[in-house]
Amino acid sequence: MDSNRIIELLARKMASEATLRELEELDELMAIYPDSLHYEEVLKGIWSDSSAERPLHNLHINRLFEQHKLKFSEEFEPAVREEEMPSSWYKKYVGVFAIACSLFLICLAALFQLNKKAVDFDTEIVSGKGMRKKITLPDGTLVWLNAGSTLSYDSDLDKKERRLVYLVGEAFFDVAHQENRPFIVRTNKISIKVLGTAFNVKAYELDQVSEATLLRGSIELSVNNKSQQKILLKPSEKFALTENRKTTKDKKDLLQDSDDLTLKIENIAPVRIAGQDYIEETSWKDDVLVFKNESFEELKPKLERWFNVQIEIAVSVPKSYRFTGIFKNEDIKEALTAMQLIKPFHFKLKADDVIIY
Amino acid sequence: MSKHSSDLNSLISHIALYDSQSSYEQLFKGLFPSLYRFSYCLLKSRELSEEVASDVMITLWKNRQKLPEVENVRVYAFVIARNLSLNVLNKHARQELVSIDDIEVEMTLDALNPEQLLINGELKKKLELATQSLPGKCQLVFKLIKEDGLSYKETAAILNISVKTVDAHLVTAVKKLTAILKMELNLM
Repeated sequence: MDSNRIIELLARKMASEATLRELEELDELMAIYPDSLHYEEVLKGIWSDSSAERPLHNLHINRLFEQHKLKFSEEFEPAVREEEMPSSWYKKYVGVFAIACSLFLICLAALFQLNKKAVDFDTEIVSGKGMRKKITLPDGTLVWLNAGSTLSYDSDLDKKERRLVYLVGEAFFDVAHQENRPFIVRTNKISIKVLGTAFNVKAYELDQVSEATLLRGSIELSVNNKSQQKILLKPSEKFALTENRKTTKDKKDLLQDSDDLTLKIENIAPVRIAGQDYIEETSWKDDVLVFKNESFEELKPKLERWFNVQIEIAVSVPKSYRFTGIFKNEDIKEALTAMQLIKPFHFKLKADDVIIY
Repeated sequence: MSKHSSDLNSLISHIALYDSQSSYEQLFKGLFPSLYRFSYCLLKSRELSEEVASDVMITLWKNRQKLPEVENVRVYAFVIARNLSLNVLNKHARQELVSIDDIEVEMTLDALNPEQLLINGELKKKLELATQSLPGKCQLVFKLIKEDGLSYKETAAILNISVKTVDAHLVTAVKKLTAILKMELNLM
């Protein structure tokens, strides 16, 4: 009878493996045979049963874990509590040189490393406006450098304990995984430590926002002047640091600059255009510029860098205009013409200058 | 189920980046029971199953740096458990190599009659007895899906069978269980 079919569909539903059509069929069958509700209740009872087993384990599992740690004691060094642990690269230096006076020297060296800026590296790769470059670092890491960006590193990167690079601008990294040798990307405002992953960093000098987007693996992020605070990113998460420079006048009527930092973590969602999914933050490395619901103001720096032009937007252009789209091989004229199909505006193009009105 | 995996992933990030023993403890508590149960189905020995589950966990710890790159850590752990369990069986087997297809997980329970079920009382016990009466692979599939919340795809990967076979086993298990329990529950 149909009860067999009902049970079959219920089984799939309980396993969360029923297709939409099967669920619809199930609803129909259960409407025809209302007694079949019994079956559903029974199965729900059976399934929820598993959660009841957990509490019993608690005492037992603690003992099992202790035994486990004893059995493999050589794998577990005495635990250091994470809250008090300084940055792990620091700890490595301390572990290697145990002599007291060397400790002091290592502290200095470490601090020096921390403050290392672009000038201290012997190799510098620059991509001008409108250019994108793909390079391979000495350790095998792949880097796509976006327009108007600079990547600095030491040529003996592959021989160092810590692989350190300095970035101004935007780059996508596909880091070659090397055990015990973290890869660190430093920008003006943030530092990112990785263990073999694929991620994007956006830290242009003139932008107020520094961003890091993680596609694969895991990275640890810290804000440069607050390096005790570490943030762990999971795949498909994006971190943005916004610096709101406030200039206020104090009692003596003197100008005061204060830094207001906003940290934000969000999930990235692909943009669907013409049946294809694009990830806005990283598609540039495949020579595709993606933007989602952005105004002229927001698009201006992106377009300027991508096409190597200067854009001026007249006041007459409505601020409410928003655009979503992708550019693959278009030049600036084709791009603006395409945008005109979405919202009406005029533009004048003279050499590298664009006026939108 | 996806909530589980994102918690798992953040634990693994912690372990990989900081060598965090407290995160490892949480990972242990999360995975060990399932691995133990799975291994027990195959080995039927408390001691040996504890050893296998423990060995799986220490393998994860030893390879912690590479763990973030593993796509599905639960499946990975179960597969290690499967292989270790098969090794144990092969060591004890006097004849040819044992493969997972040969394993008979059947527990012989003579009295699975209605009177027995009535005497035993709560649904939980009856369910456990009924589950144990399921044939080998069928029982494994049912337990992995129901107790460990694994998907068809994950279960198929662990047991080296097709997704269709997983579905067939699950449906068979559910049908048999409802048949056994329906008397108790006065179902039509």
